[in-house]
Amino acid sequence: MPRITNRAILKAHRQHPLLPLLLRECRSHISAKNELRWLRDRALSMVSARENGRSPDAPLGWRSLLRSMCHSRSRGVPLQYILGDQPFGDLEILCERGVLVPRAETESITLRAAGLILDAIRKQGHSQGRMGQRTRNLRIVDLCTGTGCIALLMHALLAPHINRLSILGIDLSPMALELANKNLAHNVRLGSLSKRALKEVYFEQGNVLARGLGGAGILQESQTSIPNAAGYCDVLISNPPYISPRAFRDGTTSRSVRIFEPKLALVPTIASSGISINLDRQEDIFYYHIISLSFEASAKLVVLECGDRLQAERVRNISRTLAHRYGSGALSIDIWACSSDPFAHGGISLNDEPCAVVLRRTDIDTE
Amino acid sequence: MFLRTISHNLTSNLRPTAFLRSFSISPFLTSKPLPPRPKINDTDLTVSYLKGSGPGGQKINKTNSAVQLIHKPTGLVVKSQATRSRSQNEKIARQLLADRIEQLDKGDQSRAAIKADRARKKKASKLKKTRRKYRDLEKDQDHEELPEHEDGEASEDHQELVTEETPTPSIPEDSTPKAK
Repeated sequence: MPRITNRAILKAHRQHPLLPLLLRECRSHISAKNELRWLRDRALSMVSARENGRSPDAPLGWRSLLRSMCHSRSRGVPLQYILGDQPFGDLEILCERGVLVPRAETESITLRAAGLILDAIRKQGHSQGRMGQRTRNLRIVDLCTGTGCIALLMHALLAPHINRLSILGIDLSPMALELANKNLAHNVRLGSLSKRALKEVYFEQGNVLARGLGGAGILQESQTSIPNAAGYCDVLISNPPYISPRAFRDGTTSRSVRIFEPKLALVPTIASSGISINLDRQEDIFYYHIISLSFEASAKLVVLECGDRLQAERVRNISRTLAHRYGSGALSIDIWACSSDPFAHGGISLNDEPCAVVLRRTDIDTE
Repeated sequence: MFLRTISHNLTSNLRPTAFLRSFSISPFLTSKPLPPRPKINDTDLTVSYLKGSGPGGQKINKTNSAVQLIHKPTGLVVKSQATRSRSQNEKIARQLLADRIEQLDKGDQSRAAIKADRARKKKASKLKKTRRKYRDLEKDQDHEELPEHEDGEASEDHQELVTEETPTPSIPEDSTPKAK
């Protein structure tokens, strides 16, 4: 990481005495200024809310509140943990320590996946002569849901077009599940999710790696509690932990992430995996499990976020071999680059940017 | 403005117009409605998220949410980083870009120009009104002061005023030569 020049620090200090603190974590003047603005707005609104509520227990004014916020930011605390939320699509996702903060890449992948689903439904509607209006349930499973951001955004995007949805979010961490449920209630209260979401989105505890139960263990287990659920899922989407232990240590993972965000959501651990597979790469374990799960549940669309292009290629190979093993029919595999603009880097998308692997079953009729 | 649009929507959807109209209290501000908000085709746009290159995703928690739009036919570039939300920033940038393109296209007839023009006119008429008001007030004061001099009570008031004012000139008389 290049050192911040004295000149940059002086320039920042001249604009605002708290700006150099933010510069430590943001590393660029513009983003430090943006963060200062957001922090300041939040400090002001928090203080005014407190004054309206008339609780005398907090002695801080907005200036000291802002100062303490900037100090914790300079120590590397993620901005979203300080502010307590993060916009995700049109939703406001609450963030708490111990649960991974939703990333912008995940947001764009979710938007694109929802677009794909809507396109498929529109095509189907045309072929059926506008008869169907999709009376059947569309079932989506989001593995490693964390804050529940993908599941909730999916509902927000699809609910206006699909009459019946059932979206299940699964996570290992009880903390994440609690936060996901909080987010569901929060966004329904804000009005960014329809009231239907309370009935159609579920969060349940499950371990993707523990498949000793045989077959689609997690899915079957959770299906019992869900009404109207048949033994399948239409769409499987996931942003599983994908950082290798090496990349976690060697500096590619930023200090702030390493220290303040839960390792459980970042690095897959071998110990928790039930069966031993001869995988040479620890960071790919989740993909192996999720893809075999998707074949067992006969999912028509699988969207998986990956750390970089090389990992995406490996995931593509994993899905090919697994498809062969499960004897599934035609399968189209695409890799989506996350940055939606291919011209930013002179026509070549960078290899170390996150991307998504998308599996589509072309043999199953989407009826 | 808001009330007006609501009442407009209601009247267009429902039949009993005469009854509903009574809800709208605000007068119609302008005779002519503004031209519709300009729209841009998605195919003409290049959307890019300026987040800096390199690894991202789980490895780095980037807070940069800047969105840049390039309008291919005109080459105009608009950037927005007002909010933390990308989708919100994109909406803002889109609106900015659409306004700018329309202004290039239509000049004075564009929505933004008409809006600015109306705001300017409103301000000018407001200024005019305040000026007229104060002019009238001054006139009234002049009119009132003339008869007041004949009244006994009013003259006493004036005398009080005068007595209050008298010490101030007396001090400079002593002090000014010394100070100079």
